[in-house]
Amino acid sequence: MSLYDKIITIYPSLTILDFLPNVGTIRLENASDGKGDYIAKWEHPTLAKPTEEQLA
Amino acid sequence: MSSIIVSGDTSGAITIAAPAVAGTNTLTLPAVTGTVNLNGPAVYAYLSANQTGVSAATFTKITFNTIASPGFDTNSNFNTSTNRFTPTMAGYYLVTVQVQTGSGSPTQQVCAVYKNGSAYMYGNNVVATGPQALNVTALVYCNGSTDYLEGWGYQSTAGSFLSGSSASMFQAVMVRGA
Repeated sequence: MSLYDKIITIYPSLTILDFLPNVGTIRLENASDGKGDYIAKWEHPTLAKPTEEQLA
Repeated sequence: MSSIIVSGDTSGAITIAAPAVAGTNTLTLPAVTGTVNLNGPAVYAYLSANQTGVSAATFTKITFNTIASPGFDTNSNFNTSTNRFTPTMAGYYLVTVQVQTGSGSPTQQVCAVYKNGSAYMYGNNVVATGPQALNVTALVYCNGSTDYLEGWGYQSTAGSFLSGSSASMFQAVMVRGA
């Protein structure tokens, strides 16, 4: 399950619009260095950034 | 006199030569202090194999991994292992990134030029279902030592970036010295 899928599972109210470049409040990235996806920005006005435990 | 030779302080020399044709030509230098770079870096790198495993809604660095013909790297400034362009001449660079998405059914797709690991310029956010050719052009200043540029892509569903020198490529050229 990708990081995006995990976040959507934790917060079903989120939509793809929340992740859009430039306008979204959440930004996921993958630097193609073998370390996988990561949260580069979390500025959602009401939902807290998921903890490592939630994402595990 | 058909040429002027300016010798360096310790070694080397610059020869300014007039063309062997009739007529008078004038070379006017700008009233500024700087370095004239007649042969600034130019690079054309691309994906030689499909980049798979691109996660949904996740900006992903495009692993441009070759400069083989028709690609080029005139100043050996593109690292095909880190997929970064780190120009060694300070100046302003015109950069184009293009990526062809290849699978999945994304409804939102965009690519971007990244400078030093952060988004510098986005292309159009393409709102269309299915694979698309995405591109972005930016004018970027690089300091000639630590600044580096990359191409990143985004699609709203999981998928891939397609290989090919005309499908997914990174091009940059110096347009003005510092």
